Amino acid sequence: MDIKGSVAIITGAGNGIGEAVAKYFVRNGAKVVIVDMMQKNIDRVVKDIKDMGGEVIGVQANVSSEAETAKFIKAAIDAFGKINVVVASAGIIRDGMMLNLDKETGKVSRKMGLDKWQPVIDVNLTGTFLTIRDGAEAMVNGGWPGLLVAISSVNKVGQVGQLNYSSAKVADALLPKIVIGEFLMRGIRNIRCIGIAPGYTATPMLTGMNQDALMSILADVHLDRLVEPDEVARLIGHCVENEAINATTLEITGGLCYPNGIAK
Amino acid sequence: MKSFNYNDMEFSVEKAQDRWDISCKKADGKAALVAAGLFAGLAESEVEVRARALVHTMLPVGIKIVGPDVAHPNLIGDLKLVGPDVTHPNFIYWDKDSSSFSR
Repeated sequence: MDIKGSVAIITGAGNGIGEAVAKYFVRNGAKVVIVDMMQKNIDRVVKDIKDMGGEVIGVQANVSSEAETAKFIKAAIDAFGKINVVVASAGIIRDGMMLNLDKETGKVSRKMGLDKWQPVIDVNLTGTFLTIRDGAEAMVNGGWPGLLVAISSVNKVGQVGQLNYSSAKVADALLPKIVIGEFLMRGIRNIRCIGIAPGYTATPMLTGMNQDALMSILADVHLDRLVEPDEVARLIGHCVENEAINATTLEITGGLCYPNGIAK
Repeated sequence: MKSFNYNDMEFSVEKAQDRWDISCKKADGKAALVAAGLFAGLAESEVEVRARALVHTMLPVGIKIVGPDVAHPNLIGDLKLVGPDVTHPNFIYWDKDSSSFSR
């Protein structure tokens, strides 16, 4: 499928990977729908894309809400008449250990509360589900071929301190296989579904990380630097154009390894 | 350039070469782009209708999303209603868990 002439919805497109994906698609001739929670980020990205000569709308929405998801799907159709690519890129982190340890007594107590668990599951898993589900509904009913993209993470392998995030991202990684299995059973052959699992990527999400911890992680990256958001965008662009890539989650990590040298 | 008011906001639809941009005046008086590069080749009269419809879809009146606060008494699904005016012509009442779109 050609990117040129397609219509792409990108959630979490107000910054980071989502913004890079949106701009990559515009550079290659697609029309884009920018979805984000932060209006000021939407305003900036929409203006950037106008300056690039692109066709764009910006929709403020909470991806964990069914009504909000329906809103941006309908807005895409109202503006551009079809949908071909849906990238569920919206994501948040609320890191923390599950338990507190009292070093003197060896006893533990609850640490990660629902205030950290639920928003991460809501945005990263429920939001991805709703975006993919409603995108698929519109694309099938509209007869528009295309690609659904879930954004997972290399931390789907299970990162200590990210029980919430890793739990959501491992589910996101599995989602394409189940969706395509259902499509096969239903005779839906013109819509593919994939996942992308980036490693540590140079996005604003990382600026909130402990920088010493980040430097320690980089020591385990064979590439010896963070993955750039545009590199993730180029991978998604390749997946749009290469129709053999389907029902799988691809990692793009720069070669992230465990400290003993085994690649994650 | 065409202007219209909707939900206490002022929108303008402006031609940029052969396409149209929609901008909105914010509460602080600054303008922000809502959309750019739309409706190529459409007649001006149709552009205004399409622009109004798009804005109504993007900014439904009477609903504010506050997240999954299921204990809140004024809820429809996960939506909290803030001063809902259900008689408003642009009020959207979400009474189902999804929406279907025309072919």
